[in-house]
Amino acid sequence: MSLSTMISTMSVGMLRTCGIFALTLLGALPLGMLVALLRKSRYAVVRGVTRGYISIIRGTPLMLQLLVWYFGPYYLFRIPIRGWRFPALILGFVLNYAAYFAEIYRSGIESIPVGQYEAAEVLGYTKTQTFMRIILPQVIKRITPTVTNEVITLVKDTSLAFTLAYQEVFSLSKQISASQTSFTPFVIAGVFYFVANYLVEFVMLRIEKALDYYK
Amino acid sequence: MILEMKNISKRFDKLHVLKDISFGVDSGEVVSIIGPSGSGKSTLLRCATFLETIDGGEIIYMGKKAAHTDADGNAVYVSPKEMREFRTYCGLVFQQFNLFPHYSILKNLTDAPIHVQHRSREEAEMTAMELLGKMGIADKAKAYPFQLSGGQQQRVAIARALAMKPEILFFDEPTSALDPELTGEVLKVIRQLAEEKMTMVVVTHEMPFAKAVSNRVLFMDGGVVVEQGSPEEVFDNPKEERTKQFLRVFER
Repeated sequence: MSLSTMISTMSVGMLRTCGIFALTLLGALPLGMLVALLRKSRYAVVRGVTRGYISIIRGTPLMLQLLVWYFGPYYLFRIPIRGWRFPALILGFVLNYAAYFAEIYRSGIESIPVGQYEAAEVLGYTKTQTFMRIILPQVIKRITPTVTNEVITLVKDTSLAFTLAYQEVFSLSKQISASQTSFTPFVIAGVFYFVANYLVEFVMLRIEKALDYYK
Repeated sequence: MILEMKNISKRFDKLHVLKDISFGVDSGEVVSIIGPSGSGKSTLLRCATFLETIDGGEIIYMGKKAAHTDADGNAVYVSPKEMREFRTYCGLVFQQFNLFPHYSILKNLTDAPIHVQHRSREEAEMTAMELLGKMGIADKAKAYPFQLSGGQQQRVAIARALAMKPEILFFDEPTSALDPELTGEVLKVIRQLAEEKMTMVVVTHEMPFAKAVSNRVLFMDGGVVVEQGSPEEVFDNPKEERTKQFLRVFER
């Protein structure tokens, strides 16, 4: 198998990896905010449940969680779901990353001085206005470097999809390497992950720069 | 009367911070509140501006009750919807300015008028520029808070409060976070507002300023108003021993 054939065979996997990455961010970034807000709910039950969820997600391996989401419905309820592989994968990733993002958001929200809330309150902003207009923009600026870290981890974590035999770039590189007795697929996969993260760094740095107009 | 506070009582757990405090502010009047740290001055201001809730007593703005004590002795506030109107009556200038760092100076002044009071952008910006001019910082409209000195930031904070067109403006130690050099420019602005008959309540440690600018002075200690009267009465002929003791510290 020539290099170009390898690359073109693996490009399908690259697209799938990008798919996992994009869908996870799309789901986990907003869901994480919801979780962060529930985590600060005034109802103790809601706070407790959210804390438990975050604890379990952070306390167990993502690989195991993926297996649970994939096999859980069958082993628990004996219902085989057709085409469940990909939804289970995304569900596992989104719920996992939402928990981590939630904690990043929470740390950001709690770092905003209480004076900002008080100033907004005296000026008559509603709770929602205060959060959306005053607090959230400042939170986003403060957490951007931490979010970058998490997004880079996600790029690499997509390789865990191989646990569910989903043919993204990492699974494919293993397969092709074994069948062709070649080391090259690993190099291609490595370059792919590195370039992807280089792009992530570049984009996130641009965002940081764009938010640099105030301190 | 713009504001009447009657028999205000406030506790933080076991600590009785305000004990049966009553005072009123007439239109155009400037009232200074002086007293040692922990005497309840700031808490009183925070109760008047609804940042803290009272445990007992009455808060009356423009003859309308915002809070009163029910038959069981608990303070009851009007509904959150009605509360919004009461909030528009009062403005507060904080010791730490609390400007919004992500907004330009102009937007700090126009955002609430536009999004809370639903005034037009043109009108809000015109009012804002006028106020910035009055504060002597019109050239800073496009700057961000971090680019300004403390004194300038506090003047922006005063302008931001005034942009809401409040009936009464409260100041919570407005110069305590400033270098002595910058204190003057902020006090000058407050003095100017006093000349324009803006109704104000100022919690301050600047005794000469309080004496010069106010119509009435309240001396607070231990959660009660120990003495009140004209600046001459309180500063030059204090009746209470506690007041004399407190003022002596400043003469040194």
